[in-house]
Amino acid sequence: MTGIPYGIYEGFLILLSVLSLLVLVVILTAIKKLGISKEMVTAIAKGGIQLFAIALVLNFLFTYDAWYILIWALLGMMVIIGGYTSAKRATDMPDAYSITTPSILTGGALVLIVLAITRAMPLYPQFIIPLAGMTFGNSMRICSICMERLISEVKQNKGEIETALSLGADSKMAVKNHADTSIRASLIPTLDNLKTLGIIFIPGAMAGLLMGGTDPILAAQYQIIVYLMIVGGGTISTIMATHLAKRKIFNEKEQLREWVYS
Amino acid sequence: MKNILEISGLKKSLEGTPVLKSVDLDVRLGEIMGLLGPSGSGKSTLLRCLNRIIEADSGNISYKGKDIKDYPPSELRKEVVLVPQESVMFSGTVFDNVSYGPSIDGYVDKKHILTCIEDAGLPSDFKDREAEKLSGGEKRRVALARALALKPEVLLLDEPTSGVDPKRKEKVEKSILNFSKKRDLTVLWVTHDVEQAKRISTKIANLRDGRIFRIYDSVDFHGGEAF
Ligand SMILES: Nc1ncnc2c1ncn2[C@@H]1O[C@H](COP(=O)(O)OP(=O)(O)O)[C@@H](O)[C@H]1O
Ligand SMILES: [Mg+2]
Repeated sequence: MTGIPYGIYEGFLILLSVLSLLVLVVILTAIKKLGISKEMVTAIAKGGIQLFAIALVLNFLFTYDAWYILIWALLGMMVIIGGYTSAKRATDMPDAYSITTPSILTGGALVLIVLAITRAMPLYPQFIIPLAGMTFGNSMRICSICMERLISEVKQNKGEIETALSLGADSKMAVKNHADTSIRASLIPTLDNLKTLGIIFIPGAMAGLLMGGTDPILAAQYQIIVYLMIVGGGTISTIMATHLAKRKIFNEKEQLREWVYS
Repeated sequence: MKNILEISGLKKSLEGTPVLKSVDLDVRLGEIMGLLGPSGSGKSTLLRCLNRIIEADSGNISYKGKDIKDYPPSELRKEVVLVPQESVMFSGTVFDNVSYGPSIDGYVDKKHILTCIEDAGLPSDFKDREAEKLSGGEKRRVALARALALKPEVLLLDEPTSGVDPKRKEKVEKSILNFSKKRDLTVLWVTHDVEQAKRISTKIANLRDGRIFRIYDSVDFHGGEAF
């Protein structure tokens, strides 16, 4: 067996029948008065429409001869959306996207370049798009945690930071521990996940490959590559983000900026 | 005697509220000046402007005859050293804390650090204690020692005996007076305690309503007029 054993039209019918699950869940949540039935329906609808939209784009790209031109636009969009989404989590810090966007770009791009050079990522849109999506998406997620943590660390420890500055430390030294803590905190969920791999669940990429008929050993190899990519991209992004964040936290006079006190 | 600090027309608002409206104050080399004012009058804000941990909105501060803006901030802060109202300890031992300043430049003279710990009134075997676990009064002394380790010219002390239990208050005062004398320090000592101001200083500047209302000689100061 290789791949899903039915076609697109049959697939729609099957999807419709599985939607009975949604009906069941909506009824259950309504009975329990959880107040989230409406949100469930809109979330599934919104997510579903987005998936079909991207599927149409992919269908087009996979068959379009000049895909290697269009793909840049798609990658650029991923980075920009990632940067803005991540910046939203950095509430309080003004213009945080000017930190998150280049950080996600750098972390993701470096990893993708390594994947390309090592041939882990064959240069076809079928590989580039999902892998870039995973890389940028995870860098974004990790960068968000990092920025959120950094901001709360700085706000909670402004007394300590001011003390360090008052003893002649520069901004880099004064914030070092808090930057390190934030980087660590942002990577820990991924590392914890790594440790339970295969025991509790089979992760997405491997699951997809298995369903697509890939040899389980090959699928496992690829899943490990995916995790290396996530950890690598996340680490590079957060190191860069905490580095760039310094000039948002401190001014050029080695003082904490106004927003830290608000 | 010449002035080591000259402050003129200093203004600072915090969140839109004017805190310092126009502060004029000269501090002479080697003197201990008390800065007395009711709570919320802007004493801490003034000290924080002086070591430039915050930026004044307008006015002038000169240190050793030169505008403080002409010093690199970290250089200024190593000479005009602020001991903030709250003594925040870094993780690590008392020794780690006290040597924090010198370690920035890479060289820690162990003997000097131990002298600072003792001058601040802590037994020298405190050096290995975990700083974050000390009592409020002990932290205060570590904060003082930490400032001394920088070999400051001017000490800005923000209520250095707050959080010290009343019985030990005068002991801390004495250590500060002793080490200041030993090192020829100029001290600007913030307090809201009239009696303390009289005990420790030669001159008392009264901050009120965002201005230095008057400067008294400690000997003829009675206190009532300051509030
Ligand atoms: N970060 C801040 N933001 C807004 N207002 C502040 C801030 N810090 C202090 N203030 C206000 O400024 C005034 C002066 O504070 P402060 O200098 O700490 O006074 P003092 O040390 O004399 O008690 C007070 O009314 C205080 O509430
Ligand atoms: Mg105060």
